[in-house]
Amino acid sequence: MANNPSQLLPSELIDRCIGSRIWVIMKGDKELVGILKGFDVYVNMVLEDVTEYEITAEGKRVTKLDQILLNGNNIAILVPGGPPEDAE
Amino acid sequence: MSGEEDATVREPLDLIRLSLDERIYVKLRSDRELRGKLHAFDQHLNMILGDVEEVITTVEIDDETYEEIVRTTKRTIQFLFVRGDGVILVSPPLRTA
Amino acid sequence: MSGTGEKVTGTTKTPTDFLKSIRGKPVVVKLNSGVDYRGILTCLDGYMNIAMEQTEEYVNGQLKNKYGDAFIRGNNVLYISTVKRTLADGA
Repeated sequence: MANNPSQLLPSELIDRCIGSRIWVIMKGDKELVGILKGFDVYVNMVLEDVTEYEITAEGKRVTKLDQILLNGNNIAILVPGGPPEDAE
Repeated sequence: MSGEEDATVREPLDLIRLSLDERIYVKLRSDRELRGKLHAFDQHLNMILGDVEEVITTVEIDDETYEEIVRTTKRTIQFLFVRGDGVILVSPPLRTA
Repeated sequence: MSGTGEKVTGTTKTPTDFLKSIRGKPVVVKLNSGVDYRGILTCLDGYMNIAMEQTEEYVNGQLKNKYGDAFIRGNNVLYISTVKRTLADGA
């Protein structure tokens, strides 16, 4: 159960995402989707062509951003490839 | 380019260093704002301020009309210590070029 | 502990590269609280503490304050973003 057959470290997984789309789910009601350009040991990330989703009482607020440095502090989940609705 | 004193900002904390003995504006968590004279600070943004005006903003929802009631409470404090972890933003007085 | 930074490909842009490239440029700094600060980036440090000039504070997309100079404590920062030339606002 504890055996990881691929022997892939989490940081290696993120490294493989460089240059492709990634879905970032933050602690709290925020999500971002963008192309991962790079990251550091704190998993601060440089993202390009970003769409930010904020879930507020009034509904989803969408913001487009050119290039950002995302603070790794409040990241909860990373999904390589982007959100499922991107598949279309 | 430079004036009499070394007014260059090489790292963010230089902005605070240049504000020593000046009146600054400090925005804190939980809708608190301070205006006062900066006597001392450290790398955590712990600060000693003098002649401080504190403004606390509260928003209440009226039970019947559901209107937002914004209240500000002001008070003055002669001397205080601010713990750095509550600081959001510090704005020095305008530096004249 | 971490295996990052071993491979450096042409398309990689690390946080350090990004920070070098945006000094003196117009940026948007978004805090965890949702408040946005728009201004010219003077400099920043490893804690993501930020010094900015000509800073405008936006709460829910509305301009609330202006500061000549501003220091933002890094722990509040969600992201630092470059600004596109177009002032199109999707709000």
